[in-house]
Order: sequence, then structure tokens, then C-alpha cells
Amino acid sequence: MDILSKLQILSGAARYDASCASSGSKREGPACVTGNTSSSGICHSWADDGRCISLLKILLSNDCQYDCAYCVNRSSNFVERASFTAREVVDLTLDFYRRNYIEGLFLSSAVMGSPDKTMERMVRVAETLRTEEQFGGYIHLKIIPGSSSELVRKAGLYADRISVNIELPSQASLQRLAPQKHKEAILAPMALIGREIASSLVERKTSRHAPRFAPAGQSTQMIIGASPENDFQILRLSQGLYKKMQLKRVYYSAYMPVSDDNRLPVLAAPPLLREHRLYQADWLLRFYGFSAEEILSDDAPNLDESFDPKSAWALRHPEFFPVEINRADYGTLLRVPGIGVTSAKRIITARRFSAITPEGMKKIGVVMKRAKYFITCSGRSFEKTDRPAALLRQQLLLGESPVPARSTQLVIPGIFS
Amino acid sequence: MNRYLYDGTADGLLSAIAWILEEEPDPEQVALAERQDTLFEDGFFLATDAIQAEDLFFRLRQHAPDAAHTLYSFMLAEKDGMESSLLHYIALAFIHGDKVNGYLTHPAVRDIVGIAKKAGRELHRLKGLLRFEKLRDGAYLAKMEPDHNIIHPLAYHFSRRLRAQHWFLYDVRRRTAARWNQGTLQFGTIEQFTAPALSDDEKKVQALWQIFFKTIAIPDRKNPRLQKSNMPMKYWKYLTEKQGE
Ligand code: SF4
Repeated sequence: MDILSKLQILSGAARYDASCASSGSKREGPACVTGNTSSSGICHSWADDGRCISLLKILLSNDCQYDCAYCVNRSSNFVERASFTAREVVDLTLDFYRRNYIEGLFLSSAVMGSPDKTMERMVRVAETLRTEEQFGGYIHLKIIPGSSSELVRKAGLYADRISVNIELPSQASLQRLAPQKHKEAILAPMALIGREIASSLVERKTSRHAPRFAPAGQSTQMIIGASPENDFQILRLSQGLYKKMQLKRVYYSAYMPVSDDNRLPVLAAPPLLREHRLYQADWLLRFYGFSAEEILSDDAPNLDESFDPKSAWALRHPEFFPVEINRADYGTLLRVPGIGVTSAKRIITARRFSAITPEGMKKIGVVMKRAKYFITCSGRSFEKTDRPAALLRQQLLLGESPVPARSTQLVIPGIFS
Repeated sequence: MNRYLYDGTADGLLSAIAWILEEEPDPEQVALAERQDTLFEDGFFLATDAIQAEDLFFRLRQHAPDAAHTLYSFMLAEKDGMESSLLHYIALAFIHGDKVNGYLTHPAVRDIVGIAKKAGRELHRLKGLLRFEKLRDGAYLAKMEPDHNIIHPLAYHFSRRLRAQHWFLYDVRRRTAARWNQGTLQFGTIEQFTAPALSDDEKKVQALWQIFFKTIAIPDRKNPRLQKSNMPMKYWKYLTEKQGE
């Protein structure tokens, strides 16, 4: 099979992988002949679906031994199979990088033969790029669950980011839908990676030459809507992964119906709105100081479809508002719907010069359409802030665009801002 | 209100500002403009002094690094008619330090920061959207027609990224070029540009990229509007993946 057909099959198979972030790592120095990575991340193109392209995102192989119900590459499915050699991937990466098409490589794979055999070839790609070609660009490797800890360690030495997919939000679902995968085989490498990252950071404090282990950290991905877990279970799992495993990012991927296996739910369309709301809630966990228990509860275990989770929280907590823009601290400002990280910071800076006026708020970038119900500006309110909750809900709904446009579901907000 | 004139060069602008900051008690009340050489032009002409200009930039960088960065980006925009705003902005930067960029209620700050942001945004965009083609002799060439004069910082970016390659950047609109070869970066102009022959495997690599570009998009989520807002059509001319559209 020629390389063009392989590329078509193996990039098509990688298409649904949500993680495109190439930021968070700085690799530079005379040792790198080709390439550096920059900490802010660069988009090199935008695909026809509007998503940013920054990495050569491909599978090494789609020829899978496993039979996960939710996956197109499962062994019982009939699709055309292809596998790259390590050299082919190395050459593609370099040819693309030298023409400034990409920031680097994102390599994942189906289980080709055995986990170790697959992982070994993936590590060889990264090793060749780094040691033979002195490639300094970005490399993200997916760890194949069940591969040996020695290979995991090696992967971390060559890659900027490594990740293990958690796949499904619970052990029960894993057993039902991906019987060859085990929770331990996923969590063990995750814990190992976490320990290695931590100890490499400590070593680098004493010696600048200590090897760096996955400097851009660890991320994971789970499929939403293929199994029955509710949003509260999912968010608590993410919260745990951020706190206990020091993960950088959890990616959520709406389940795309790919088979009529009766273990899977029948969905008319992938749950994109749910995926979008989970990303918003995840954002609240990481940057806005919220906890999963503040966002959801056992009584209300799923995210509201009509409101973003922050507005939903604000509606449940009238006692917190109104917030006075010219006095409130950063953490309080962040809780106001319509005020994001950037505008909260700008408010703090701007009010050092003079009190912020209502006109000033717009210039700062506050979404007044939403914020106006929750704030006062030097004591002045914009709307009656004590209106009954039901009315407020209605008003917010009218103010918000009816259904979030498709585009907003595809971009992961803020990665490159 | 006192009115001053300068010769229209970047050095002239900065040295004029340096002079005014030194001599005028209230720069907010001063206007500065480019000399038009009309007979009855009103204003006092300030001669260009490159050393003064450099010294001003150096002092600003010490005092307010973010503001110096804003000034640098603003200069890339080559905007006419903004001299007074720039003067007032720099005066404020020496008073408030880097906090000046948060003073968005001041019209001069808003104008300068706005223009600088636009220039910075295009620079960042082109770091991603620039496309190199491999030539027959093994060198790489990237052509562009940016709105802002960003060839210097762009070349610097690629000098760190593609350091093992021999490459050229060519700004078709301004006829300026940058060249990187074996650790040296040079700038110049190209009056007569003839398209050099491509290397034999170039079209093959381009076809691979085009296939990847097409396949990576999710078929039932086509969104040309989002694509165009992130990647405006004015850049498509030199984008490998957008050839033949
Ligand atoms: S192991 Fe991975 S590629 Fe193979 S069937 Fe399961 S999810 Fe798909």
C-alpha cells in the first residue's frame, strides 16, 4: 500500500481524538536541529470543520486485536486496515515540520499484535525523531494500556506529553464494552507517569541536566454517552484525576454511534451539547475555583442543557449576588456569569486607575447581556437584581443564543488564548 | 498647543518623542505629525537622531517592558497619523509603567494598544500559516503578503525553529526578503523575483499534506464560517492545503 493511502486511512481513524493542544512545553536549545516548541501553542491551519490543526495526528496502525464495542477499529468490524513503519512516520513528521505545516506529532495506535509490540514501535518513532534527527518539535504519545512500565518510562523521556485514555467513566462499563481492557492496566501507567513527572521536576531543581519527563504533563480522554454514568460521576472522576493524579487535562469525547451492538445505547446523534457542557464545567474545576460538588449533586446529577454551568450555579445562589465590580476580589468576580478569567483580570487592573463605569465594562470585554443581572457598578445596578428566580431564568435564556452554534461545540475554549 | 513635525521615518518619530518628553512639561497638550513639505505648514521641525531614538526605546524597555513590546508591535503596523497618540501613550508609560496597558479608558492608550494587538495577532497567525516549499537546490522558500511589516520578528521565529535548513522569506507586497543560512540571518530587498524550480519530491509532500488536511475534518461537521474566521481568506493564496479551491 502506498503512503498516501495509509495516511488517508490512519488520519481518518484519528479524527475523533479531541486533544489538539500543543501548548505547555518549552523545548529549545542548540541540541535541537529541527524545531522548538513554544509555550503558547500555534495553530497551523483550520480544517473544514473549523477545528485547529497543529499536530500531525495519526494512528500508527488501525489493525486491532481488541474488540471494544464503541470503536470503529474493533477487530470484528469490517474496515480497511493499514500500519505505518516507524520510518514512515518519522519522515512524514519531518517533511511536514520543515514546511511549517505542523507543530509536531500526535501518535496513537490500535493494539497491533500485543500492547508491548505496538508501544515498542511507537517509542521507536519518538526515539528516532529525538536522537537521530534531533527533532525539537512537539511529540504526544498515547500509552497503550497493558504495555510494560519500561516502555512507558521511555515514552516519557522522548515525548512532551504522554497520555493514557481512561476510555469509560467506570470499571463496570469498561468490563461491559471493552472486555480486554482493565482498570488497573489504565491506572497503573497513569500513576507511574505521575510519579516520574514529579520526581523529574524535583531532580531538575538540583540539576538542570536531569532528563525531563513529559514536560507538558499528562492528559486523558473519556467517551461520553456510550455508558450510563451521569455528569456528577464524570465530574467527580475528573476532579479526582486532577487532584490525585496531577493530570493536566481531561478530554471528553461525545460517543459517535459506530455500531449496532446491543450493549450500546441507541443515539440519534452524538451528545455534542453534553460534551460542550462538560468542557465548561471542567473549566470551572480548573480555573474558576469550583468543586464538582458545587456544580452538581446527587439530587441534580446532570448538567443543565439550557444554561452554562456557571449561570446555573448563579441561579441557585441568589444570596451571592449582586457583586460590586469596583470592590469584589478576583475569586468573587470569577463567579459572575459573563465574566471570564481575562475580563476579571482586566477589571482588577483597570480599577487601579479609576472606578470602572458601565461603558468601561463593555470595553473590558464583560458579556453584559449575562452579567448585568448579577452586578452593581459603584453601587448602581443595571437590572433589578432581586427579581424572582423563575423570571431571571427566562431572561437569561432569552438573552442567550437559542442553541449554541455547532462551532462552539467543536472548539475547546481558551487553549490558544 | 505646540505642534511638532518630523521626517516620517521610525527613528525620526522616536527621537522626536524623546525630545518632546524632555522639553515639554505637559506632553498631553502637544501634537506631533509627519512633515508634508507644504509651504505654509504649521509646526516646529525636529531633526532625526537615531541615537536618541534607540535610547528612548532602551529606557522604555527598562521602565515598562510590556509597553516597549506594545511600541514594537505598533511600529510593525506602519500606521500614519497616529503620532500624537503614540507620544501620549509613551508619556503615560513613563508615568505608570506597564500598568499603562490596562488604562483602556484613555483614547491614546486604546488606539495604540489596539493597533499593536492587531499587528501582534497577524504575526502570531503567520507563524502558523506560513508555508515553505522545497526548492531544487534544497533551500526552502515561503511567500507572504501580510498587512503588517512583520518579516523581522517572523524571520527571528523561524531562525530558532528551522535552524538546520537554508530558507528564505519573501514579502511579495513590500519586496523585502529574509535569508537564513548556517546560523546567519540577513535581510534585503528583491526587485526582480523569478519563481525558482521546486525540488522533485515537493509536489508529493504537498499532496500528502492536502490529503491529511481533507481527512482530518469530521465529515458531517463542515463549518466554513468558523474556518474562515480563524483563517481569513486573504491568507489562502499561499496555503498549500487551499490550492485549487
Ligand atoms: S483497543 Fe483501541 S483501537 Fe482497539 S478496539 Fe479498543 S478502542 Fe479501538
